[in-house]
Amino acid sequence: MPIALGTLLALVSIAVIAYPFLGSKRYRLVSERFVTREKLRAERLRIYRKITDVEADFTSGDLTEADYQYQRDQLRTLAAKILRQESGATTTNSKRDEELEKEISRLREQTVQSPEGGDTL
Amino acid sequence: MADLGVMALLLGLALSIYAAVGAIVGEKTAMAELVVSARRALYMTTLAAAVASGALINAFVQNDFSIKYVVDHSNTFMDRAFVWVAFYAGNEGSLLYILLALALISAISIWFAPKRLARSMPWTIAILAIIQLFYFGVLSFVASPFELLDTIPLEGRGINPLLTHPGMFSHPPLLMGGLIGITIPFAFVSGALIAGNYGDDWIDVARVSAIITWGVLGTGMLLGAWWAYTILGWGGYWAWDPIENVALMPWLVLTAFVHSIMVQKRRGMFRMWNVALLNIAFVLAQLGMFINRGGPVVSVHSFAASSLGVIFLSFMLASLLFAFALFLWRMPQLKSDRAMESFMSREASFLINNFLFLAVMGVTLWGVLYPLFSDLARDISVSVSAPYFDRTNGPVLLGIVVMMGIGPLLPWRKTSARSMKQWFMWPTLVGLLTIIVLVALGVQRPIAIFAFGVVAFVAASISEEWWRGTTARHRSGDNWVMAWWRLVNGNRPRHGGYIVHISILMLALGIIGTNFYQQRTDGALALGESIILDNYRIEYVDEGESIRDDRIAKWAEMSVYEINPDDYSQEIAFAATQGSSGFTLKDSRLRENDNLIDQIEPWHGFYPDFNMASVRSGIRSTIVEDLYVIPRDFLADGRVSIAVSINPLAWWLWVSGPFFIIGTMVALWPQHAVERRPVRKRKLDDPEGEN
Repeated sequence: MPIALGTLLALVSIAVIAYPFLGSKRYRLVSERFVTREKLRAERLRIYRKITDVEADFTSGDLTEADYQYQRDQLRTLAAKILRQESGATTTNSKRDEELEKEISRLREQTVQSPEGGDTL
Repeated sequence: MADLGVMALLLGLALSIYAAVGAIVGEKTAMAELVVSARRALYMTTLAAAVASGALINAFVQNDFSIKYVVDHSNTFMDRAFVWVAFYAGNEGSLLYILLALALISAISIWFAPKRLARSMPWTIAILAIIQLFYFGVLSFVASPFELLDTIPLEGRGINPLLTHPGMFSHPPLLMGGLIGITIPFAFVSGALIAGNYGDDWIDVARVSAIITWGVLGTGMLLGAWWAYTILGWGGYWAWDPIENVALMPWLVLTAFVHSIMVQKRRGMFRMWNVALLNIAFVLAQLGMFINRGGPVVSVHSFAASSLGVIFLSFMLASLLFAFALFLWRMPQLKSDRAMESFMSREASFLINNFLFLAVMGVTLWGVLYPLFSDLARDISVSVSAPYFDRTNGPVLLGIVVMMGIGPLLPWRKTSARSMKQWFMWPTLVGLLTIIVLVALGVQRPIAIFAFGVVAFVAASISEEWWRGTTARHRSGDNWVMAWWRLVNGNRPRHGGYIVHISILMLALGIIGTNFYQQRTDGALALGESIILDNYRIEYVDEGESIRDDRIAKWAEMSVYEINPDDYSQEIAFAATQGSSGFTLKDSRLRENDNLIDQIEPWHGFYPDFNMASVRSGIRSTIVEDLYVIPRDFLADGRVSIAVSINPLAWWLWVSGPFFIIGTMVALWPQHAVERRPVRKRKLDDPEGEN
């Protein structure tokens, strides 16, 4: 019985680790773009958190008005910069999508005009 | 079941190798399938470790005496509840427990790892797998808990009597789990550094995993102190024993880390310092494993007969080499782009507190290692005992408590002299007032009085912080309770930290009370006789005995009376001339003002198979002091030999535990998301589809 259980455990393990190679699902490493987007988002959330902390410090009297204004403005500027970077990434995506659409349209036209005919997209 | 255990360990070994190699090769060749497969292999090591652990526990439940480890640590008389304790009572079982804890927390941390760390995850997986590989290897080939005996005995040796205590259900697992838990933040930070991720992306995962580890380790140490207080029969709770010290040292470094990581989070500074702290904590945890397993120092906790010393020493040295080679390699990129603006700032106070924590760690490390060096270099055996640690660490620990009061009052970046005066005035006044009141009340011991003043100063500074924040919110319309709740809720890491600080103040009260004001006496009492100490009369009323297969247990029924010292003035005066604060009273007549306040039953057990005695002290605990009666021996003439002590403020030591846990949980509790976004579909956000 223990041997059978051990063998079963081994077989299950092999199946689990072999699945990514044998299954129909395709895997790919995360792209630099994806990681950058996640990093920017995390950084932006951290700055939002800092702004909340600065506001809490000011409300509690830990910060003077001048320090509070200075720190909050700095953080807001930073958050805006990161937002712009994030938007930049999105813009790039949109541009890529537009290019892709153009390419598809071009191929569609070619296919329709093709003398050999065939399936249309 | 032994076969299943052995197979599970060998399978775990193979899976660890695969996970380590697969993750690195997958990363280097950009084979996503291989990386995913390696990650799955790491998950499966948890199952392998769990099956091996289950096989061993089942062997205990079934009294399978064909397995040597089961014979060595259980018998058929053992209370079945202690099967869990027996599981890690010995070297091999405790290593298996450590492996199970490591595999489990590795799997959980990888599963919940943030996606922004995706690029460094293969390296993190590889590091975790290599460390697991070490433990699977040791358990498979060097210290197997499934070793079979040629001849199967009818009965086992039984569990170590010192382990038959409720604290043993949680103290060793928490301590071992805490020590191995340091691996998680270390692996994440090291993985990020290898992958060239020098930014602050690892902050959150390192902070959360380090605080969990720190909380677990701290709770484990406190439970260990409670265990020592109630069962070891020496009347104390912390002996600066080498094994206690090797748990304390990484905890001290992690304490420094959980403070300085806040500076990195808030101000973007101390990045290099934080990486160094994690490396030190990890290496110290490995040192703890080596000292515990190798038996180079004698301790009530260590597995002194172990021959694993060389293996664990090698692993510790390899860890040290890896950690600091990586640190030196990436050091130039870790430099912060910000500098400290003023020494009158919170970040500066955190830095000072970090140095103080490292100073205590350094002093303790020297005390632990000196006997080893002496033995190796001069062939002279020496031991470093409590007075060294008390005298060197005591003032620094007091300095840490002072910083607990100063740090929170200082703002980030810089402060002005006017603000300083405004913020420090009340706490300082409260501290000074405490000292004056104690002196006026005739309390002795200047150092202790000063320490009480420091505790009051810190308590006042926390109260001031909460008062200021709460009143500010109250002014905006909240009632007082809601205002305080919102204050805490608004910045949980900070206010959770304050709750932990309160627990440390409670601990400090207990330490000051028991170290400076303890009273002790001892004697042998016949039935009807009493011992008197301070305001207590302890009368030996009756005795009990129970003989079981594994032990001979005796206990004394004792009545505790509160007395009026005036009724005993002659005896007290006589005892004072003998230089004693307590005395034995043969007269069983009660005096006019004797007031029965409690009954206690100090218990003494002798375990012939272990040739070992175990005691349960009789304790009457109040908020002011503990009356603590240790039954040393039941003598042949019918008398009981006891040691009696009054431990002032000892109650505060144990009540600090729940506050410590609550504070840690508050600090860890996730903050509300600042930004709420719709959850995207997995395909878009997670190309690997497995995170």
